[in-house]
Amino acid sequence: MALYWIYLSKSMEQLLSELNFKIVETLNLVDVIPDDIDPDDHLIGGKLGLDSIDILELVMMIEKDYAVKIDSKELGAKVFSSIKSLAGYIYENSPGMH
Amino acid sequence: MVDIKAYIAGMGVVSPAGRGIKSLKSWMKQGGRRIRPLNLFAVPSENLLPVGEVSESFEVLEIPRAHQLAFAATQEAMAGSQAPPDAVIIGVTTGGILTTEMHLKNRVSDPEAFAYHAVGSVAEYIAGKYYCKGPVITVSNACSSGTAAIKIALEMLRSGQARRVLVGGVDSLCRLTYYGFKSLQLIDPEGARPLDQDRRGMSVGEAAAMILLVADKATPDNSIIEILGGGLSCDAYHPTSPHPNGEGALNAMRAAIRDAGISPSDIDYINLHGTGTLDNDLSEAKALKSLFGDNLPPLSSVKGAFGHSLGAAGAVEAVISAISISEGIIPANTGCQTPDQKLGLDPVLEPIEKKVRIVLSNSFGFGGNNAALVMGKYREKKPVPTKKKPTLTIEGSAIITGVGDIKKTLEHISAGKDCQGTSPLSEISKSLQPSVIRRLKRLPRMALALALAACKNANLQETPSSVFLGTGWGPLSETYDFLKKLYESDEKFTSPTDFIGSVHNAPAGQVAISLGANGPNITTTGGDYSFEQSLLTASILADKIDAAFLVIGADEFHETLSPLFDRSVKVDGIRSDGGGAICLKRSDVSCGPKICSVFFENTADNPNIIQTLIGKLGDSREIEKRFGTIMAGIPAAYRQEGERQLHEFLAVSDFHQPVIDYRRLTGEFASASAVATALAAEFIRNKKIPASLCDGDDYSLNGKGILIVGFGKLVTAIEITP
Repeated sequence: MALYWIYLSKSMEQLLSELNFKIVETLNLVDVIPDDIDPDDHLIGGKLGLDSIDILELVMMIEKDYAVKIDSKELGAKVFSSIKSLAGYIYENSPGMH
Repeated sequence: MVDIKAYIAGMGVVSPAGRGIKSLKSWMKQGGRRIRPLNLFAVPSENLLPVGEVSESFEVLEIPRAHQLAFAATQEAMAGSQAPPDAVIIGVTTGGILTTEMHLKNRVSDPEAFAYHAVGSVAEYIAGKYYCKGPVITVSNACSSGTAAIKIALEMLRSGQARRVLVGGVDSLCRLTYYGFKSLQLIDPEGARPLDQDRRGMSVGEAAAMILLVADKATPDNSIIEILGGGLSCDAYHPTSPHPNGEGALNAMRAAIRDAGISPSDIDYINLHGTGTLDNDLSEAKALKSLFGDNLPPLSSVKGAFGHSLGAAGAVEAVISAISISEGIIPANTGCQTPDQKLGLDPVLEPIEKKVRIVLSNSFGFGGNNAALVMGKYREKKPVPTKKKPTLTIEGSAIITGVGDIKKTLEHISAGKDCQGTSPLSEISKSLQPSVIRRLKRLPRMALALALAACKNANLQETPSSVFLGTGWGPLSETYDFLKKLYESDEKFTSPTDFIGSVHNAPAGQVAISLGANGPNITTTGGDYSFEQSLLTASILADKIDAAFLVIGADEFHETLSPLFDRSVKVDGIRSDGGGAICLKRSDVSCGPKICSVFFENTADNPNIIQTLIGKLGDSREIEKRFGTIMAGIPAAYRQEGERQLHEFLAVSDFHQPVIDYRRLTGEFASASAVATALAAEFIRNKKIPASLCDGDDYSLNGKGILIVGFGKLVTAIEITP
């Protein structure tokens, strides 16, 4: 539970910035600066050039780091439409957020 | 003109339906779902999924499960046969990994425990058990391996290089594929429901099927089933997703039908790939509609009954197709309640009795690899003449060694230095676009860099159509990282990217995507002779390839795994890796140094192997006349035996020209022979061997060629002539 305590006081803004950093790191996006990612940008097929494999890699990261499961394609399509929607979903569902 | 037919002389199978052809036959008549919750190894209860597991137990216990399955199927296939097969060709994707996973978890450090790890070790084990002296090829083409293996066997028979080929496919359940497909969200928690409107994915399975395929020139006996034709293609589209319109699948089916000399309307039953994933079933349906229009024959997928046995699936389904023809049964598309209207297919939902003469069987896999077979009771096509072995020319070559690319390697060698070691990843990747390779680890980057460099060196104006890649150990970094993450998280987390990358044919798939190469794409594996397998396979299929194609050999050094798996690495103690690539064309479309795979035999129970090799090359005068140098490959693990073989070769052939012991230059890694081959091509082009390699001045080849001989557990020979 110690890990979740950290998130208790986390603002949406902090979560967004943290996600940007984690996405760049997890997916080895060598030419992307985390702070440059627009929270409204499409994740799949957007500027970042992500595809379904990247999304699945992010699913693992999110389950591991935030204890939030995204285990179906339908849910994934909704949640991963942008970083903003992803952050919103994590915020609502992570056991440590509230 | 001789009409060569390839008929099935024996079949054996182990599947979730049971052990033996009889069990499969009775399942085909009765139907029923054989998918059950996993029992073979323990998994956390929240991860328990239905699989197609073999429930029989086996006699021989000291070998991994895949080897046990393959042996049981081979015993049945070879039951009525005295003579050994001339060649063994098996489709395998994970080999002995189930055992390896356990040992890695328990931190076992004795390399002996990993003696049967290699994907290629299954075919080697079977070849040894059945005294096969000739070529042993392992096709590691993901889920199309078994079908691709049968197509290669068919072409080998047609070429006259073999009369009896033992061919098939095998894979056992293991954590790598169980958790790997789960991480891709491709598993249906209810069990696979191919073509169903509510389908959510596949079920992983295990099986082995072996077929003794025999060439015959006599009039066909109507009771005997023939492999009439086969087709191979590559989507060159995405590492895992099929082409949305099924273009690659369509090309493979078309090629198989053309090869069989029939038309789509002759087909009485289609055995679908039908995994049950949304994308596969949709793209296969689109390809079928394009080919057959509204005149589709009865069709079904058996993967809702047995799960998907990956490398074995195509071979199991070839056996099912044969039974379908001989018994007049069409098996049910188990698991499908309500066919998905969007697919527009009408699967057979209960087993039906019907006369079946010709079957089309499909297999598609990761890396966009597609394979299709046409089988039939008797031939209704024009005779196929024995094909002539095409002469292949080398248009370009590329090398990666411990010191860098071909230029740096030659500089080092000319300066009298070796090129052992491992190049930094940044050096290997320098010609590759960062965005393209961000997900690729060491081996796929090597393969890609080699492929691009070989095409550049060949000054190729066209897109190469085909890629053949031999690798002794496959992508070790990805395999290791996948299992490490799995174990560190108590089997909770994995990396889907590592799973996709861990598949042996992932590097060749990446090459195809980068180059747009949509012809046959074949990955072979078999320790120190993987590149030789690859060149042999390419030569067998080359008569159907009109454009340029690539033959690549590459292996990576991995800190933990290489010393455990590769005995030569362990013995040598120096970390080395790299590979070579050659860009080839058929000589009727080009001129350049010619390359030919001339010899491939096992040393076991083969005391006259060196004399046989010399006989194959002509005699000592012929060898002296044609070759200016011999490049000898002696893996460190076989140093003593290999040197003895080399000395015997030199003594018997009375050869007195320079001999280059090339592993002393390259260091120890399985595909060192690919480096030697690319180097030899360079020497032939320069018409000389650097002085540093022959004690004195530069050695002029005087129009002679170079013979590359592999010694050790096998003896192989590749000749390169001007």
